[in-house]
Parts: sequence; structure tokens; C-alpha cells
Amino acid sequence: MLGIAGFITFWVLFAFFVFIGFYGARWRKGNLAELHEWALAGRRLGAFLVWFLIGADLYTAYTFVAIPSGVFASGALYFYAVPYVSLTFAIAMVFMGMLWDRSKLKGHITAADFVQEAFNNKPLAIAVALTGIVAELPYIALQIDGMRAVLEIMLEGVSNAAVVSEVSLVIAFIILAAFTYTSGLRGTTLGAVFKDILVWIGVISLIIIVPLSTGGFSHAFSVAAAKKLATGVYNLNPAISLGYLSLALGSAFALYLYPHAVNGSLSSESRKALRLSTAWLPIYGIGLALLALLGILVYGSQKAIALLSFFPASERGLLAVPALAAAYMPSWFAGIVLLGIFIGGMVPAAIMAIAQANLLVRNVIGPFKKLSPKGESDAAKWASVVFKFIALGFVFVTPLTYAVQLQLLGGIIILQTLPPVFLGLITRKLNGYALFAGWAAGLISGIWLTLLANHFSVLTTSLYRITGTVQTATYIGLLALGVNLAIAIIGTLIALAIKR
Amino acid sequence: MTSESSQSKGLSSGSKAVIAVLLIIPFIIYLSLPTYNYRYPELLGVPFFYWYQTLWLALSAVLFFIAAYIWERGR
Repeated sequence: MLGIAGFITFWVLFAFFVFIGFYGARWRKGNLAELHEWALAGRRLGAFLVWFLIGADLYTAYTFVAIPSGVFASGALYFYAVPYVSLTFAIAMVFMGMLWDRSKLKGHITAADFVQEAFNNKPLAIAVALTGIVAELPYIALQIDGMRAVLEIMLEGVSNAAVVSEVSLVIAFIILAAFTYTSGLRGTTLGAVFKDILVWIGVISLIIIVPLSTGGFSHAFSVAAAKKLATGVYNLNPAISLGYLSLALGSAFALYLYPHAVNGSLSSESRKALRLSTAWLPIYGIGLALLALLGILVYGSQKAIALLSFFPASERGLLAVPALAAAYMPSWFAGIVLLGIFIGGMVPAAIMAIAQANLLVRNVIGPFKKLSPKGESDAAKWASVVFKFIALGFVFVTPLTYAVQLQLLGGIIILQTLPPVFLGLITRKLNGYALFAGWAAGLISGIWLTLLANHFSVLTTSLYRITGTVQTATYIGLLALGVNLAIAIIGTLIALAIKR
Repeated sequence: MTSESSQSKGLSSGSKAVIAVLLIIPFIIYLSLPTYNYRYPELLGVPFFYWYQTLWLALSAVLFFIAAYIWERGR
């Protein structure tokens, strides 16, 4: 459990975070009754702030909790997150630059706006919007699980810890919903800068302090090697190479299809600011790589292992990084690091809920009911509150271990919007209905393969063994995208043939 | 007035080729898994597999920055 000094630094800094969240409404004042002002901060964020905002999208509980947890439990396979964060920004430099141009010209604020304009096909645009909304939900749930992991480590040994941690989560969410409602993306951007400062302090000090106090990387790697982690310790088990590369590529193509990543990109003041900040984002990934290594370092840390032994085996991976912070840092400093991880879940959750709200108002309600600018903005503000609480509901119905797998399912789902969005930016030759059919086929095959791979039981993998052997285990997101693309292209050819 | 045309305005085909190469290099590096899936040489006790991929994050950023600079020059 965290000492009293840690509790003090945690709550004092949390209070400061809440203050800047509300203060965001006054920062670079705009008319928050207009959706693009509330949701895109008036498209006035420069390269520096876009770097922080999109960095906040990447540096989430996925980084702090899910990836180290995967490395801890399974080994080298989960280092796929490193190639993923390099490649995703090359993709973003091309496609987000093009989408930014198009959106500036036509006033788009979502990818579905673009799809509607490009293909003039309502069902397709609504499908893209709904896919984005659904795919964000498990991703938000993962953020909440990260916050919960922090509270569990802080409260370890306290009586009624479970009740206290659940009540704290609900209170944190009410505060978060309140400041997203009042200050929109402005509040979360300021929060993102503050969060990132804490996170970098935490990552750098952990990666120095933990090896120095535990006998270094060599020791931790040799202890981990003795555990014979399934996918390799010193390097990747070559049998799972295809799985590694397909997870990296699939995730790289998926990230910038998520509504929150599109939203962050479109809030940039210029295309130049967007491209320059995107170019530097792989630097952020170095922190992710260091955190992934903490999943191995835990094995060399008797104090952290001792702390983890109080928790069920299935939760230990998720608690690895918070436990290292609590075990090896002075209490007041551990409070700072734990708060970094805590708001590291809160800020992305807010950005994701804003992006979902945009989609719902503009692309799902919009086509059926014309709203005034103020009505649009009000509806989005309330929708962001509702979505946050739907995701919070996950926490009380799913145990910690499932959320990570749900997030991988989110990737499989969101990838099915790649043909209309990314290909739509390059060519208008594809037929809207063929794209719709491809989307449906991709979703159905993705979900079906996921069920097959998990034997219709608990979600434990997102890799499908094509011929039944581990060598052919491939990320289902890419397989389903292949089906999607094939149908979209064949459908377009058929449509062309009929017209002639 | 498509995004493609405003995109390419003022960019020579040479510049485009350079940008394409700069963005593709990390794909080639990371997808060549057998070239880096080794334990040795280690760096401060960290196996090659891990530190090499991490180093390439920094190198990717440099390549992407040069690409962005060429792309947005004069804007």
C-alpha cells in the first residue's frame, strides 16, 4: 500500500488536474456552443499541442498496463507495439495530411463526414460512424481498467478496498464528465500536457531506479527466461513471427481509423503543424518500449513480486507497472507516478468519448434530424457524458483481464472502415454499395474468426491459426480486412459491368 | 480541387520519390524480422531484439521529420 505522503501528492496533483480541465473552457476562448469549437478546440492547435494531444491518444492505459502485462505474461510477442508505433505514423503522415486538407475545404469534423461526401452514400457513412462508436467502447473500458489497477495498488491492505476503489472511480468519472462537458477538447488538451509531464517523469525514473535497485536487466531477463514465457524472452520465438508482424501492421493501420485519432489530427491549425508533430511522435514510442521492458524487469524485483502475490494471478500482469512504482519509489514520488498512470487513463477516455459524441450527432442523428449548431453542440456534450458511463459500466461487469482482449477486438472492428476512409482518400472509383458489402463481410468474418480462434469461449487471443499451426497464427484484423477488400473490389467491378 | 492535387502542388516528382522512400524505410526495417530477432549483442543487459527496435523509433522520427520538412517546405 502507498504511504500517506503518496496519497497527499496524488490528491493534490489530481485537484490541479481538475482545475486545468475546467480552466480549459477559458483558454483560447471560442464559442463552445459550436461543435467544432467544443470538439476540435476551434482547429487552432499548433504542432506542439497536437503532439501532446495525439501522444495522449497513444500513451494510454494500453501502454502502461496492457502491453507490460502482455510482456509479463507471454513474453516478446507483445513488443509488437514498438514496430506498430513507428509504422502508424508513416501511415498518418500520408492519410491524415490528405484528410486534413479535405476537411478544411469541406468543413468535415469526422471520417464519416468525409465518407458521406466522397461516396454520397448514407448507409456507408452511418456504418463507418457506428463502427467507430462501437470500437471505442472497449478501448475506453481499458482506460478505466488502468485507473482501477492504480487504485488497487494504492489501496492494497486497506479494509473495504474494493468498495473504496469503485466509489473513487465513479467520483473520478463524474468529475471527468463535468469538465469534458464544459470545456471539450480544450480542457482535455491542457490535461494531456500535464499528464504527459507526469508520465515522462514516471517512465524515466522507473527505467533508471528499477534496474539499479534489482540487479539490472541481465538478472531480470535470466529470471524471466527460467519461467519459459510462451513467446520468448531474449528474443521472439521464431514460430510466432507471422503473428508478431501481423499484429504490428494491423495495429498500425487501425490507429488512425479510430475516431479519437482522427479528431486529434483534425484539431491541428494547419497541415504543416499536423505533419511535423506526427513526424516526431515515434519519439513518444520510446517511452512505450521502456514500459514494455518493465514487464520483464518485474521478474527481477522481489519487492514487486511480493506485492503482486496479494492479487489473483490473472490480474498480476496488469498491476506490474503500478506495483513497481509503489515498491521502489519514495511514497511521495510514487504518488506522482501513480497519478500519471491514473490520468493517463482519464485523458484518453475523455478524448475518445468526445470523438464518439461527434460521430453520433453528426453522422448517426444528423442525417435524420436537422439540428441547429447549438443543438448539435448540446447533444454532443450530453452524448459524451452518456458514453463515458456506458464504458464505466464495463468495469463492474468485466474482470480486469478481459478488457485487453476486448481492445484487440476493437482493432479488428475499426479496421473494417479502412477501405472507405483510406482508399476513399486516394480514389473515388470504388462503388459505395460494394464498400458497404465489404464492410459487412469484414465485420462478420472478423467476429466469426475471433469466436473460432477462442473456441466460442472466453476471449484469450486475437490470432487465428490459418492451417491450425502456430506458424500460421495471424492477426484476425488483417484477415478480415482482406475479405473486406476482396468484396469491395469485386463488387465495384460488378457494378461497373452492370452500368455498361 | 481534389485533395490529391492540392497535395502535390509545388512538389517535384523527385521530392515525392524521396518522401516515399523515407516513409517506406521503417516498414522494410521492421518487416525484416529475421535480421534482428537475436539476443546478442546486448546493450546494458538488454537483448538486441529489444534495443534495436527501440533505436529505430528514434531513427524513424528523424526520417519522418525530413519527409515532413520536404513536404511542407515553404508553407
